[in-house]
Amino acid sequence: MTFCVRSIHFPLFSRVLASFLWLFLAVGCSGESEDSGFAGLAESQQAGTDVPFLQPGPGDRLKFPEDFGPHPQHRIEWWYLTANLENQAGEPLGLQWTQFRQALTPRPANATPPAPAQWPLQAAWMAHGALSWRGQHHFAERLARADVGHAGATAQPFEVWLDDWRLSRTRESGRWRLQVSADNWSYDLFLRLNGAPVAHGDRGFSAKSASGEGSMYFSLVDIAIAGKVTIDGETQKVRGKGWFDREWSSQLLKTGQQGWDWFALHLDSGDKLMAFRLREDGSAFTSGTWITGEGEAVSLSADDLILTPDADAEATPTRWRLQVPRYGVDLVIAAPPGDYRNEGQYPYWESPVSVSGSHSGEGYMELTGYEVE
Amino acid sequence: MTLFAALFSHYRRHPLQLLALAIMIVVATMLWTGVSHLTYQARASLGQSEQAVAERQQVVRLDGQSVAVADFVTLRRAGVCVMPWLEVQRPDAQGRVVGVDGLAASCFAGAGEAVQAWNQPLNGKPFLDIRDAAALTTGPDDRSAELTLLVAEQVTQAALPEGYRLTRFSLGPDTGELGESFLLNLDALGVLVLLITALLLRSVYQLGLAQRRDSFALLHRFGVPPVSVNRLLVLEMALLAGLCVIPGVALGRLLAGLLGSGFGQALDNLFDAPLYAGQEASWLSSILTMMAVVMVVCLIDLIRPASRAPVTLLAGQQRSLALAALLLGLVLALVASSLVLVFIAVALVFVGAGLLAPILMSGLAQRLARAAPDPLKRWHFAEFGVLARRLALPLVALQFALAMVLAVQALVTVFEATFDEWLSQRLAADFFVEVPAGADTGPAVDWLADEPELAASGDWQRVVRGKAELTLSGAEQGLESQPGQSVDLLAVAPVGRLLTQWRLQAASDQPWQAFARGEGIMINEQLARRQELAVGETLNLTVADEALSLPVLAIYPDYGRPAGEVLLNAGLLPGTFKPGFESLSINPGNLDMATVVSGLQRVWQVETVTVRNNERIRELADTVFDQTFLLTRAMTVLTLILAAAALLIMGWVFFSTRVWYYRLLAVWGLRDREVAGQMVRLAVSLTIGIAVLALPLGIWLTWVLVHRINPLAFGWSLPMAVYPEFWVELIGLSLVIGLSIAALMRRQLQQPATMPASAGSLSGGDR
Repeated sequence: MTFCVRSIHFPLFSRVLASFLWLFLAVGCSGESEDSGFAGLAESQQAGTDVPFLQPGPGDRLKFPEDFGPHPQHRIEWWYLTANLENQAGEPLGLQWTQFRQALTPRPANATPPAPAQWPLQAAWMAHGALSWRGQHHFAERLARADVGHAGATAQPFEVWLDDWRLSRTRESGRWRLQVSADNWSYDLFLRLNGAPVAHGDRGFSAKSASGEGSMYFSLVDIAIAGKVTIDGETQKVRGKGWFDREWSSQLLKTGQQGWDWFALHLDSGDKLMAFRLREDGSAFTSGTWITGEGEAVSLSADDLILTPDADAEATPTRWRLQVPRYGVDLVIAAPPGDYRNEGQYPYWESPVSVSGSHSGEGYMELTGYEVE
Repeated sequence: MTLFAALFSHYRRHPLQLLALAIMIVVATMLWTGVSHLTYQARASLGQSEQAVAERQQVVRLDGQSVAVADFVTLRRAGVCVMPWLEVQRPDAQGRVVGVDGLAASCFAGAGEAVQAWNQPLNGKPFLDIRDAAALTTGPDDRSAELTLLVAEQVTQAALPEGYRLTRFSLGPDTGELGESFLLNLDALGVLVLLITALLLRSVYQLGLAQRRDSFALLHRFGVPPVSVNRLLVLEMALLAGLCVIPGVALGRLLAGLLGSGFGQALDNLFDAPLYAGQEASWLSSILTMMAVVMVVCLIDLIRPASRAPVTLLAGQQRSLALAALLLGLVLALVASSLVLVFIAVALVFVGAGLLAPILMSGLAQRLARAAPDPLKRWHFAEFGVLARRLALPLVALQFALAMVLAVQALVTVFEATFDEWLSQRLAADFFVEVPAGADTGPAVDWLADEPELAASGDWQRVVRGKAELTLSGAEQGLESQPGQSVDLLAVAPVGRLLTQWRLQAASDQPWQAFARGEGIMINEQLARRQELAVGETLNLTVADEALSLPVLAIYPDYGRPAGEVLLNAGLLPGTFKPGFESLSINPGNLDMATVVSGLQRVWQVETVTVRNNERIRELADTVFDQTFLLTRAMTVLTLILAAAALLIMGWVFFSTRVWYYRLLAVWGLRDREVAGQMVRLAVSLTIGIAVLALPLGIWLTWVLVHRINPLAFGWSLPMAVYPEFWVELIGLSLVIGLSIAALMRRQLQQPATMPASAGSLSGGDR
């Protein structure tokens, strides 16, 4: 979740993409994410507007269902779903869907959006879809400008879309449907949402550094999924569990942070665990949330949580040790064999993982900012 | 004192010489880097321009309404890869711009289709972001704006939601081989620039070396073997090249950027921001190439010492050799049947001309000196001869540079005119109306013919494209009869102003009248060259199983088309002929085009008629290609500036070595003013002389490029044109260089005298 400025003299198309310096994506901007650069971007994009970007802080609270919708006065946000599924033969299958919004110009939530006929460019959208099966990783990326209808999100009724990809609520309450199709693969899933949203950090404000940068962040951690996945013309029925994240901010990482390791785990004990680590030179900022089977969430600070990449790991560590001594947790987290990099504008690793050690289970792992081998 | 320090001490005593050598390496590197960078950009720009005007498909509404943002959203949300294309006619003469959505275009790239045309800076020439284009309109109902939805090539009708259909969209006809031809010529000129660079470098290095001969002799007398000296010379050159090539490359890129695209982009350029899509020409390859060139041209004598100073040693033999090379090259260029031979011919002519030019100049000067009764005139001509010999290499470099600039200028102007003519020929009418599939042209033609307003003020013609079989009559050609060969057929009727304004390369008497009566056909240049057909010969054609035997009335240029084509009066088409494509070209004149369209809709009983606005297409195609020509013109200016700077430096350095000798003029009793006058006369006659010698070479080079290389490479020729106003400009520039050298000399002569380095300097060197 880093912002870095490659050049503010970029041609428009590249500039939009460069400012899609999404999350997780420290790749390729080594040493360029200076304070001035960040502020430079803000200045260049905000010139002529009086409305500032809003920055989340510790006092901010979540508000439902509004927070399922977009936050046009924040620079960046995303809707993110991962699923650990299996087909009828019991083979594991992982999938990801993420839709990002990147604002170029902040706009108050109650302001009227510009008319579509103006082809405005106050914000841009990007969607990522990935499917991992039998060691093969399929990935697709879509881009769109905001406010013309090509892509968008609404809280009520809940819908997030870009092209023919969409996540939307069905007529039945507590049910969503996710449809994604790429060149040679697609999925069409029905989601049953169990339990209330889990607020991370301080009632939804999730710090991302010791100096106070952070985001608003909540998750739906108990989602039952059933549906169809088609790969190369072959359709199979799948079912399993999912994890949904909502996060928004205007400055997530402080300068100098290089990348991010993130884990969302479903333990067979019924407990859930979210943990992340933001790497900076010689140190890291670690945080997480322990969610009991009953849905009670406890924030984990750096003192509670130990995340260690496997010593034998290559440049991208695909094996980890995760310890939460307070809950007697000592896990080995491992990605299945294969290359799970999402090779989009900014490559990053996104893979299903298996959990062993003190607890067994499964989940998803996202690693960014590592050198591309 | 080490040997290196001893060797280098020459430059401590003559820092100007070291400076001149260093500047020349920087300047030569700058020239080559600048030109190759511009060539590279012109290549990329041309590729993008061609891509931008290439034919695509678009989605239109079945109900005939124009598409809007809502249609874009409907199609995208149905999973169809479409992108918006908003054309806006700006007020007054600002021209059209096109707004595109780079984000929506990204799905085109994934489909294996390049989208580089809008991946470049959208700077309004003519592409810009669609938001900025929309801001130029007064609203969605603005008549000056037109939204089109382009669709990726692999999208089929079946993939579209109900209410939409696919149709063609084009911004201009396919440029075919016209673009490739342009690039081939650019490459040829790139090679020439490298040669000029090498000559400039060698000239200044040799000049320096000649001045150091005394130091080498001294070192030799102290017992230093020549091998050690040579080894140190290599080291010295490598150091100097390393120090000068890198800033030269940087300056060349900066200059190319400045000339090519304005200052802001130039800075981006220097820091490697992608000015154009595609791979940026790399720094390393420029640096390595120039290092190699510098080392080779300067140190080749060390590898082959026997060939040193051929100018003075073998003047007689050299003259015959140069003359032979020149004549052989000229003849070879005329008769050569392959590209390689033409390139060899070009090389021979350049070698010949390069060797002959200084000999000619000094020979002429010697003859004039002998004939002159006035001692001062005799001195002037004799000195002119010496200068021509001693400055041979830089003078030849300037001659080549001037010749190349002349050729580039002619070629670029010719290409621009050709693109223009090519567009005119293909977009003769203001509007093209596609004949809908299954519709009969007959009633439409009758309706158009009966429209009085159209007959009075407008023009129209029916255009049919298809295939015909060609059979050459064996008896007439004295050859074996060839089997049927497929050629493109273009049938047009009635014959009107849209057709008769075509330029013809060769024609019989009153060709259009005969063509209108159906008494013959016309063929394109490609077919004429391939089949060796001339006007008046008879061509046997099979059109839809019907044999036609008609004389060739004319040959028309058909730039860039790879295929042969026959132009036939559509009245001669057999009833069974199946056209590949049929359209009506219409200049509505005083009639409103909407009236024409609604009339045709009535006749054909269809809801929509596809109309292509050629004026709009032409205007955009022109804008798109303009950038390419801007770059090539920048290349001309760059070559000229740097060649001029090189001659100026060389001339100054060389004249400086003869300062003592020129001072003698004053000793002989000439006043300062008269000495200065002599300097002006000398310098100007030298630079003008070489410019005059460059003219025939430049004209010949232009001729070879358009009349020999192009037909051999592509099977069709470009029109040849010369531009005497530009010659005058070049001669004017030579005059300025000459005057500048004289002015520099005058300053130097006014400074207090220092002792001559040797007795030779005092007596005027090699006189």
